[in-house]
Amino acid sequence: MKADAEAPTARRSWFARAPEAGLVVVILVLGLVLTIFGGSVKRPRIETGPDGNAQYAFTIGPDGERSPVFEEVNKFFNAQNLTKLAKDTSFTAIMAVGATMIIIAGGIDLSVGAIYALASVLAALVFQRFGTVGSEVGSTAGVALGIATCLGVAMACGVINGAMVTLLKVHPFIITLGTMEIFRGIAFVITKAQSVGGLPEAFRKLVLVETANKLTLVPLGVMVLVTVAGGVYLSRMRAGRLVYAVGGNELASRYSGIRLHWVKLSVFAFSGLSAGIAGLLALGYYGSASSGDAQSKELIVIAATVVGGASLTGGKGSALGAMLGALIIHMIDSGIIILGIDQNYSRIITGALVIVAVLLDQLNNWLARRRLTHAASGVGHGK
Amino acid sequence: MKQVLNVFLIVASVAGLTLTASAQKTYTLGLVAKSQGNPVFQAARVGAEAAARELSAQHNLKIKIDWRTPNEEDAQKQAEAIEQLVLAGAAGIAVSCSDANKLTDAINSAVKNGVPVATFDSDAPASKRFVCYAVDDEQCGQRVMDELAKVMGGKGVVAILAGNPNAPNLQKRVAGVKTAAKKYPGIKLRDTFYHKETPQDAAAKVEQVMQANPDIGGWAMIGGWPLFTDNALKWPAGTVKCVSVDALPQQLGYLRSGHVQMLLAQQCYDWGHRSVELLIDKIHFKKNPSTVKDVSELVPVTKDNLEAFAKNWEKWLPR
Repeated sequence: MKADAEAPTARRSWFARAPEAGLVVVILVLGLVLTIFGGSVKRPRIETGPDGNAQYAFTIGPDGERSPVFEEVNKFFNAQNLTKLAKDTSFTAIMAVGATMIIIAGGIDLSVGAIYALASVLAALVFQRFGTVGSEVGSTAGVALGIATCLGVAMACGVINGAMVTLLKVHPFIITLGTMEIFRGIAFVITKAQSVGGLPEAFRKLVLVETANKLTLVPLGVMVLVTVAGGVYLSRMRAGRLVYAVGGNELASRYSGIRLHWVKLSVFAFSGLSAGIAGLLALGYYGSASSGDAQSKELIVIAATVVGGASLTGGKGSALGAMLGALIIHMIDSGIIILGIDQNYSRIITGALVIVAVLLDQLNNWLARRRLTHAASGVGHGK
Repeated sequence: MKQVLNVFLIVASVAGLTLTASAQKTYTLGLVAKSQGNPVFQAARVGAEAAARELSAQHNLKIKIDWRTPNEEDAQKQAEAIEQLVLAGAAGIAVSCSDANKLTDAINSAVKNGVPVATFDSDAPASKRFVCYAVDDEQCGQRVMDELAKVMGGKGVVAILAGNPNAPNLQKRVAGVKTAAKKYPGIKLRDTFYHKETPQDAAAKVEQVMQANPDIGGWAMIGGWPLFTDNALKWPAGTVKCVSVDALPQQLGYLRSGHVQMLLAQQCYDWGHRSVELLIDKIHFKKNPSTVKDVSELVPVTKDNLEAFAKNWEKWLPR
């Protein structure tokens, strides 16, 4: 009897320890399919020049004409494509790590795309004004000011969301639906709908720094850092565990003396900050910002968290899951182009994936309840 | 001996065909328009695919069009699509830029990787694209206002319908309308109204503006978005004048009914067709266009040439 009762506990502990293992399997299978069926492509070869810098390889013909040297590489499994995939994923994943905290706490944030747009346009304006050589603040200080503006504004937007949710006691769906329009509207009014470009090189180089093989790895690095920080906060720190407690059972948390207001405020602040980090990275990478940036991004971010295992009813999810969820969505997007399939299939597949993820979550919950019932009845019989 | 000769001829023919097939060069050209929801870009896609078929047959090539257009306007998605097309081995790319600033780096990076880029409809002037095929947007805006002023008798209140506020080409058209309006002292510009570039959103915007401003006597539509629906202009024909850019089949109905006085057709089918021609000239024939700005002319469509113009759409629409 005792052995029977322990068996499900053992199985559960394996899943509990590695809830993202399934996502990793999906990613590996997707990667394998794209590597096998993606085919190959000719790409200009990069070599180290006499000055030690990376440069494109050329051959010089008898007539003295320089022709680039091409090499054949797998369409999916090559360093450039994987770096691009990581870069595209990073903007979504960073926001998803913040958004997953809100979802774990039982809330939702529809304003992340608007926060991203507002923070980036304000930062772009500061960069333009103060980040150039010869401005009154000085180039380095101007760049620092721009970065601080982006992150500060984004976090402030998150705090505003959190404060309104807790003080007005209105569902976060409604509050963030409103602030989504407000934040984007402010970005629109400030920029007069113009794209803000011409950013200082000193800032752009921070994001566009390349390796010897001309790979831009900063977005990937920041994504990993944010995921690790989010993971440590949620799983290793007391404040992070309170987020699960609040999302799992708000009433019980209140009776346990947890300060719900602070927990909710903090997750909205983190979500805002994560949108700011993503906006800052994209600003550096693409070199401009506009009030229309990241439209509908909130839906992709929420989809990433759900695919990553977060439960929209709260109490479940992880930073790593959010990152892997974003990676799966972007692998599908990228794979559709690599396989030459009509692009609209990516929406169908992503939509289906979200539904499957929710169904699996419900199945998992049902199995967990069944196991608990069995275990309880087993203990009852044992008595 | 004759049999041997026949066998030899058959083998030679098969070998010849095989060689011809293997010698056929394949080019994949990426086509990145602004949004899938806007029918003008569907016409561009049809034009590109038609050009691919025609040029393939003419020059014994295999040209494939890889359509990678965001569902809604999103410059970042366009930049990602350009990067992915380069990595997937596209031979050339044609793009209509939702945000020139945001796409400049992606275009330059493609060019650096040996993939020539042409822009159509909306340019990225600071980029290394080798050609831009589009109307002169400033002049387009001016023309819309001039024609509208003519049909309004040079007086009345005018509203501008302007689509996506972030699109650089539309901003120039708005500027053109405003510049031209200064020539007509009797014309008063009420405001510029932006909206999401879907037909329903545009139609809703027109209705909403008319409710709040019943004195508006003319609409300068720098894009034809609301006219892609059937019931966008809810006033008796002729009471409010309207001149619009584009002349898609749905818009022609408004011309027939008298709700719209003139359509200025952009050659949206040619956006795709001409872009593919320019790309193949560049990639296959190593021929550069004589000028970077390849200006596409506006075609005025009124009740007089309406039916003749309508026939074009039999060829231009996706089947």
